[in-house]
Amino acid sequence: MTGGSDGGGGPLRAAIDGIRRVNRAPALLAGVWAVTILISLPLAFSLREMIARHLGASLAADAAAEGVNYDWMQEFSDQATGIGVTFKPTIIGFGAVLDNLSAFVDRTGRPAVILAAAAAYILLWIFLAGGIIDRLARDRPTRAYGFFSACGVFFFRFLRLAVVQLLVYGVLFGVLHTWLFDRLYPRLTHDVTVERTAFLVRVAMYAIFGFAVAVCAVVFDYSKVRAVVEDRRSAIGAIAAALGFLKRHAGAAAGLFVLNFTLFAASIVLYGLVAPGAGRAGLTMWVGFAISQMYVVARLWVKLVFWASETALFQSRLAHAGYVARPVPTWPDSPAADAIQS
Amino acid sequence: MRGLLVAALVSGVVNPPLSPRNANYTITARLDPATRTITATETITWRNITANPTGELQFHLYWNAWKNARTTFMRERALSGGRQRPRAADDWARIDVTAVKVLGRDLTDGRRYIAPDDDNQNDETVMVIPLPERIAPGSSATIEVAWTAHVPRTIARTGAIGNFFFLAQWFPKLGVLQDEGWNCHQFHAGTEFFSDYGVYDVSLTVPDGWIVGATGVQRERSANGDGTTTHRYYQEDVHDFAWTTSPDYLERTASFEHATLPGVEMRLLLQPEHAGQGDRHFEATRTTLKYYGEWYGAYPYGHITIVDPAWQSGAGGMEYPTLFTAGTRWLAPSRVTTPEDVTVHEAGHQFWYGIVGNNEFEDAWMDEGFNQFSTARAVSQVYEPNYLMVRYFGGFIPWVFKDVALQREIDGNGLPSYRRNARSDAQATPTHRYFPGTGGSITYSKTALWLNTLERSFGWPWLQSLLAAHFAKWQFKHPKPHDFFATVNEVGKQDVTWFFDQVYRSSNAFDYGIQGLRSTSDDQQYHTTVIARRYGEALFPVEVVVTFRNGERVRERWDGIDRWKLFTYDRPSQALSAQVDPNRTLLLDVDYTNNSKTLEPRGESAARKWSAMWAVWLEDCLLSWASLV
Repeated sequence: MTGGSDGGGGPLRAAIDGIRRVNRAPALLAGVWAVTILISLPLAFSLREMIARHLGASLAADAAAEGVNYDWMQEFSDQATGIGVTFKPTIIGFGAVLDNLSAFVDRTGRPAVILAAAAAYILLWIFLAGGIIDRLARDRPTRAYGFFSACGVFFFRFLRLAVVQLLVYGVLFGVLHTWLFDRLYPRLTHDVTVERTAFLVRVAMYAIFGFAVAVCAVVFDYSKVRAVVEDRRSAIGAIAAALGFLKRHAGAAAGLFVLNFTLFAASIVLYGLVAPGAGRAGLTMWVGFAISQMYVVARLWVKLVFWASETALFQSRLAHAGYVARPVPTWPDSPAADAIQS
Repeated sequence: MRGLLVAALVSGVVNPPLSPRNANYTITARLDPATRTITATETITWRNITANPTGELQFHLYWNAWKNARTTFMRERALSGGRQRPRAADDWARIDVTAVKVLGRDLTDGRRYIAPDDDNQNDETVMVIPLPERIAPGSSATIEVAWTAHVPRTIARTGAIGNFFFLAQWFPKLGVLQDEGWNCHQFHAGTEFFSDYGVYDVSLTVPDGWIVGATGVQRERSANGDGTTTHRYYQEDVHDFAWTTSPDYLERTASFEHATLPGVEMRLLLQPEHAGQGDRHFEATRTTLKYYGEWYGAYPYGHITIVDPAWQSGAGGMEYPTLFTAGTRWLAPSRVTTPEDVTVHEAGHQFWYGIVGNNEFEDAWMDEGFNQFSTARAVSQVYEPNYLMVRYFGGFIPWVFKDVALQREIDGNGLPSYRRNARSDAQATPTHRYFPGTGGSITYSKTALWLNTLERSFGWPWLQSLLAAHFAKWQFKHPKPHDFFATVNEVGKQDVTWFFDQVYRSSNAFDYGIQGLRSTSDDQQYHTTVIARRYGEALFPVEVVVTFRNGERVRERWDGIDRWKLFTYDRPSQALSAQVDPNRTLLLDVDYTNNSKTLEPRGESAARKWSAMWAVWLEDCLLSWASLV
């Protein structure tokens, strides 16, 4: 409850520090972007095959290449299976972002193959999290061996933490979401005849659900930060430590979350302003793709800033900024080198 | 005819009569909103206009369809899929006839229920009153009925939610006596209604201050001194009566004026949260009155009431004589034709359903399909471009995809819906026997598509003239499918029976395509072969166009009967592409992608573009979930 009165940096300073740390680690950003695109590409290639097979040598491809051939898209959709069923106009431009945000908060189902990709992506993030936070905590290059060493050290610790996360998010999305949106919301709006009123009720549901998710996310973020910075092995211990830290620095942590969330919202709004439309095949397509990738990079940057700023806040509040308990790993020399040296 | 139309006054009076007026209702009803109860009496003056006497009367008691989950309506609704919300006891409806007198004789005890369509003993939507004496052809009977009804929570566009009441199919209504006997079907989930024309004189008592909208025009309004007010509505030459009441409506008025069509006074009952959308409703109604009036015939009543239903009432998008429900949303982007589509469609039903009164239980395509086609055509005259909109976040937040312009021929007619269900039922099957989950595709979309196909085959003047002839011949009557087909063949001066054999009498699907295109050269010239194929069972003569690199285009006519057809060419230029039905005359073709082949395919290019775009969507999707790590 001290909220920054106990010395150390405030949330704004932590946010700025976090941004600087991320900006000083461009390889991290490049790496997570590469991971993101590499997970997406195989499925995109698979969809490309489906589309190419469906279009074949048809003249319908001309309109599809030049703009939107909505008639063909619907024909494709009617016969599609697997990832093909997700190929709809809703992937165009900013609609894609709304589609995903809406699906996320409304718990809209996705095809199994998309869920599998999401699971693989999350697993990769769990693996990379140790290395990323370690790099951000040290705020100096750890090189590939240092990075992956930290990844390996923390992977199983974070995997145990992920089990707890899975349980907690399972409760949030399985129980709380169901209660809020499938039971409470219908009950509150059962006799409502004014759409605006119903919308406000739904916004309230989103706010409650969003708050719960945000609180849990922050707790798990600081759990990871404490696990890395203090070289903790116990997932439960890290969560307890994170809760303790958040209890003592609730104001600062909340302020920092608001600042980071503002960055997230800004990235969404900015993309909303510049998001490319369907465009044409060829150069236009690549320009649009590049703009979209800049948005993806911005989202990833924001995610890294979350972790970096939270790490910075934690370190500043412990009054030994930059401290990381775990030593930078050094690889042993080869036996031959040892022999020469001795 | 024009003289008749001009005679229509904004009073509910139509002089001289346009219809047989053989089923006339004088109704007195009192609504108690607190208990959601209607207590009412009606006096029906009915005349037997058939060639045969009848020994019984058959009544629709539609609201009994929502009496429990075992009725035919509810069983069929469950068949159609989708989540069925459990209904509280008070949400169900019922209509209890407490007294029936015919020619002064009390026949209440003789009433019984029948289920002519499926023998469902739990269905009480058709009541029979045996008569002690037969009613001879040309004779009349006075029938007095008393009943009470419990208003359901809104279901199938009827009922109450909060202070909003929409009351349709709410009174015991006679079936239609035909030469073959009574046509009085049970209430089905996928069909609508059928009844005779007459004069409705209805007095409705509601709480003071509540606004009433109803079929016809208000002739009297009197405060009863007990906190209630009685509104008397009157209308001639209609076959149904619906009404609505709520204290929340905003009332707006406007008029439709036209150089050659009679004027129409428009009354709009608007939800307060849609206060800014009044003009959109009026403009859409004007669009309907203008185009339908010019294409088919004039709207004769002189007035029309547009009801903007309350959110979540489920009462939107339904037609009743001289009144219809539109349907809009709090956020309704201007470049998306909601509420215009639904307003044009339901206003359009004044023509196809209201004025031309086909049997919706058996041949719903004759009004819904004609109207879907006409709606798409009228909307395309005024509201293009019209873009795709998707609603997010619980269905509240609209997003307009400006890259995706909707087309009358595809989206307006409902091709995607038809494509998915093309073989689900033959259109000639009585509508109430269509599979409930897919019947709409056959009723609405298939009809609109084959009408549009006729328009593309023979031209709009041809189609317009025969639709107008059908309208003129069958207004205020009950046409059957063969009546329409006869009009087409007579007025259109073309025997298109073969076409109706395909689209009406069968459930076959159309699918023509190019199976193969080769163009190889020897030293002298290119030898080109094109194989056109009929993949579907249905037949239609099509055009095949082969385009050569030098710009030459060769057009071939193929009767489309054989399974395939070979075309060969020896030309100095290589072929570039071949296409079946290049002008897309046959809008019913369920796979248009296979209609063409080119030797310079761009499928890879298109696939690359769209898969790249999809990859961004996937990345964003993954990032959403990764936010939890």
